[in-house]
Amino acid sequence: MSKHRRGRRKPRRSSRSPARSPSSEYRQAVRKADQVLSISDIEVRSDNWQQLALDWFAPDEPGRSEMARYIAAHECQLGVAWARELLRLEVLFQAEEHLQIIAHYDRALSRYPRCAFAEMWVADQVFRHASDFWRARQMYRHVADNLPGYAKPRYEMGFMSYLLGDFRGALGWFNQAADLVADDDVELGARILYNRGLVRFYLDGNRKPAIADIREALRRKQDYPQAKEALRGLRGKVRWVPW
Amino acid sequence: MVDTYPKVTTKSYWIPTAATGERVFWMSLEFSLNRRPEDSQPSIAEVAWSSGSADEGLLILPPIVPAKIRREAQRLLQPWPHGRYTDAYQRSGGILNVFTPQWGEQQDEVWAEMLAGWKSETFAGADARQEALLALEQQWNTTSHPFFAGLTPAQVVVGGGLQETELAEEFLQQLTRMYDGHAFESEGEALIKALMLLRGWQCQPRENGQMVLDIIIAERNELLARRARALNHECSDAKRGN
Repeated sequence: MSKHRRGRRKPRRSSRSPARSPSSEYRQAVRKADQVLSISDIEVRSDNWQQLALDWFAPDEPGRSEMARYIAAHECQLGVAWARELLRLEVLFQAEEHLQIIAHYDRALSRYPRCAFAEMWVADQVFRHASDFWRARQMYRHVADNLPGYAKPRYEMGFMSYLLGDFRGALGWFNQAADLVADDDVELGARILYNRGLVRFYLDGNRKPAIADIREALRRKQDYPQAKEALRGLRGKVRWVPW
Repeated sequence: MVDTYPKVTTKSYWIPTAATGERVFWMSLEFSLNRRPEDSQPSIAEVAWSSGSADEGLLILPPIVPAKIRREAQRLLQPWPHGRYTDAYQRSGGILNVFTPQWGEQQDEVWAEMLAGWKSETFAGADARQEALLALEQQWNTTSHPFFAGLTPAQVVVGGGLQETELAEEFLQQLTRMYDGHAFESEGEALIKALMLLRGWQCQPRENGQMVLDIIIAERNELLARRARALNHECSDAKRGN
């Protein structure tokens, strides 16, 4: 599964609502995004906006089908302006402009129907870069509810629960994610199993299931130094904790 | 004689975000309110509990303590409510929670679920309904909460003790050794790294085989027991007309 991201929320006024005057960093980031689109000869028109949105934002399956479903369901509310904002969002993702991704999502895309697929990727920025765990949690929960076949939001909920010190809650989410992750999603599959192994060990100190999970993580992704270290530690005699 | 004067000491740690830095500071204040000057003497919190007056407890503080800290200490020493200890949302939660981003009732999935259950129930009358709500609030106070890293709200509100102070110091030093001077891509990344280190550290068994979580819970339970004794003392005094 590739990287990206999200849609709308109910129109509202809150501390997170779009500000009336965008910050200069944000304006600059959007200008740069427009330059990138211009250099790429991208012109969003009424006859190509859907295609461009899919090609740029969700080029791979299963995201592409998910995005196509979203566009079909909300076609009359979306259109050229929406696609332009989505493409800008994509460019900000490619440029790893983490905080501007959130700003753009809030300022430009929150007026459109909420898109769980896009939200899944924006939530990562909210969680991992803006450190707004609680907002990210609400977003991931929405994504998990609306994308029942996706492992990623469940993995992120598990990882967040782990960070909060809720190991039992984390295990529940990791179990769900492990059931859903595709065999060919090497990166996510390995992460789910590695983290589930750790949490299992933290919960009761039982090495066997933890070793099994971490071995499986390494089977999926051989170049995984943390997993290798964890396996060495778990096989040792002393109770080992990775810190 | 000079040795008995209050001393000001400064400590320096690497802390992932400004917000968590502030929480570390409040955590230290919470710890200090439970510290007994000597074993036979009560802590500031115990004086406040047994006298029913935060001001009474604050008399123990040396004059050097700034007004801002006194005000905060006074807030921490307020009598606990009969219902839900919602003040837990405002406390640091000790070393296990000090890096958890601030949350409150809006994010409290546990309370929301309990409340939804209560709302869906049918009661014989308004009194029974109210009684059930009060019982539910007590239940929340004493139920291990996933967002408090397994502590109960009561254990959060009572604050940490001497052992947790030492454990916190150990962890903060470890954190500083590990990350001081490192460049992070974002504040979020720094926070996540700190939390990962914390969760690993808390599962590291101590020399006696105990886990950090167990030590902290046992100590906070002891502090709750101290509080109960202090409150009983107040009742006994009241009965004697003191």
